[in-house]
Amino acid sequence: MSGTVILFLVLYYVIVLGIGYWALRRGGGEDLEGFLLGGRQVGPIATALTLQSTSMSGYMFLGAGGLGFSQGYWALWYAAGDIGGGLLNLSVIGRRMRKMSQMMASLTSIEYLEKRYPSPAIRLVAGSLTVFLLGFYVLAQLIAGGKGMALVTGIPYPLALAIAVGIILAYTFMGGYLAVAYTDFFQSLVMLVGVMWIVIAALSELGGLTAANTAIRELDPTLLSVWGKGLGFEGQWGVVAGAVLIFSIGYMGWPHVVTRHMAMSRPATARRAGLWATAWSLLFVPAPYLVGILAILILPGLDDPEMAIFQVAGQLLPAAVTGLVMAAIMAAIMSTADSLLLQTGSIASRDIYERFINPDASERQMVWVSRGLVVAVALIGYVVALVEPPTVFSIVIFATSVLGSAFLPAYVCAVWWRKANTAGALASMIVGATIAFAWEYAGLVATTQLHPMFSGVVCSTITMIVVSLATQKLSPVPPHILDAMDVASRVGPIPDRYLAATEFELANEAAAVGRALGEGRDE
Amino acid sequence: MFGLPVETALLLFGFPLFWILYLGVFMYVSRNWDRDAAAEDDAS
Repeated sequence: MSGTVILFLVLYYVIVLGIGYWALRRGGGEDLEGFLLGGRQVGPIATALTLQSTSMSGYMFLGAGGLGFSQGYWALWYAAGDIGGGLLNLSVIGRRMRKMSQMMASLTSIEYLEKRYPSPAIRLVAGSLTVFLLGFYVLAQLIAGGKGMALVTGIPYPLALAIAVGIILAYTFMGGYLAVAYTDFFQSLVMLVGVMWIVIAALSELGGLTAANTAIRELDPTLLSVWGKGLGFEGQWGVVAGAVLIFSIGYMGWPHVVTRHMAMSRPATARRAGLWATAWSLLFVPAPYLVGILAILILPGLDDPEMAIFQVAGQLLPAAVTGLVMAAIMAAIMSTADSLLLQTGSIASRDIYERFINPDASERQMVWVSRGLVVAVALIGYVVALVEPPTVFSIVIFATSVLGSAFLPAYVCAVWWRKANTAGALASMIVGATIAFAWEYAGLVATTQLHPMFSGVVCSTITMIVVSLATQKLSPVPPHILDAMDVASRVGPIPDRYLAATEFELANEAAAVGRALGEGRDE
Repeated sequence: MFGLPVETALLLFGFPLFWILYLGVFMYVSRNWDRDAAAEDDAS
């Protein structure tokens, strides 16, 4: 690789570390709310771009290009849902979740679930499931980051991995969520410029989109169809529905993504963030798939489809621009890895350590425990990534499906359905996760032609509805939660009674004591 | 359009158009959310 490419990467790393230091100076690590949620002061553009870049990992530069290369225009089913994923998320749960989470004084998306569906079991199940799945997900991102670095710089994989992990860890450790949000903001711009440059270069090379499509038609007309190469997916609407849903509604079930709502500077931020998220997605999302499709003509002898974007960039762009593209690929990987790392560390510290092991930990102690766990997760990730366990990537492919299936109804119903109760949420999480797991491992995708995400979300939603309705008398939604939902649904400031952080916890404890006394009397 | 079959052109351009329309509806429905922010500013 040329010195120019390495220079771009070094420049990119210096900028993200600079943002981490800036976040530290701005108070990103002063208290727990500052470290975990950036003090709830993130504006609309940064919210939109951290939401988008966190959702879109290195998959967009590796998997999306590979899918376009292998299946032609069929790959665009994934882009079709993905374009509106951020907007849907912000418009459906953004404002209400921001408001509810502040009223409930929740600092993580799992703590928020426990306060909306009061029961330690919710936190234990949701926290354990999230730490396990995000742990695998972060591992895959670290491996991808290390391999990307090794490929670009030519240095050995263990050292490249150490550099990639070290840089992510350094800025996350320094500035917490604020550093993650603003590095994501910068990284999303690098991603956009990088991918647009390749699209323009590829279209120029082929004489425009019409000429390219005409050439693809001569090669294999099925590549232009919506049913994939050789019409392999013809009539498989279950697979198509899963492809559209996984990246549209699926994001609403990802704990590391919905945390972005909780960190917005104000509930109304969701409105303008929706505008920015859509603008960014319209430009970015279809581009990697399109480059993959155009690579069919540019690189007819390509062995590994996942390298389509790398190879097109290497073949068509001057060295300086290739450096930018390589930085964009690292940005896509790192912007997801940093959020996953912070979320895994914060959920382990706030939702497991503080909740079940040391409830009396001070604010200052908890910031350092969170930092310590972020370091621990990164170190474990580094060691395991060195071994490169062969099953990691196959687990990651459906980790996102499992997360979406388990948590989507819980997050959506938390703000929209007054009858959604603890029993319904708990059953919905367990059923959603189990079905998505089983669908993948039992080989039901081939038999039923249904995507695991589609099956998981349908089952978890039905479970939420049926169990909640069946247990209304046994497990009613406490009045203070119904009141909070009403306040969140109305436009207006949060009432003073909710601004005291202890208010909601006391109400939950009072409800639990009331239930216990009531049960005692019945006996 | 652009040398594509009709259904592929619909997939390529129809979904972005759908999301733009969704955005328009969302911006209209949420037009009073800024009052939320104004109320918070007054309160602080």
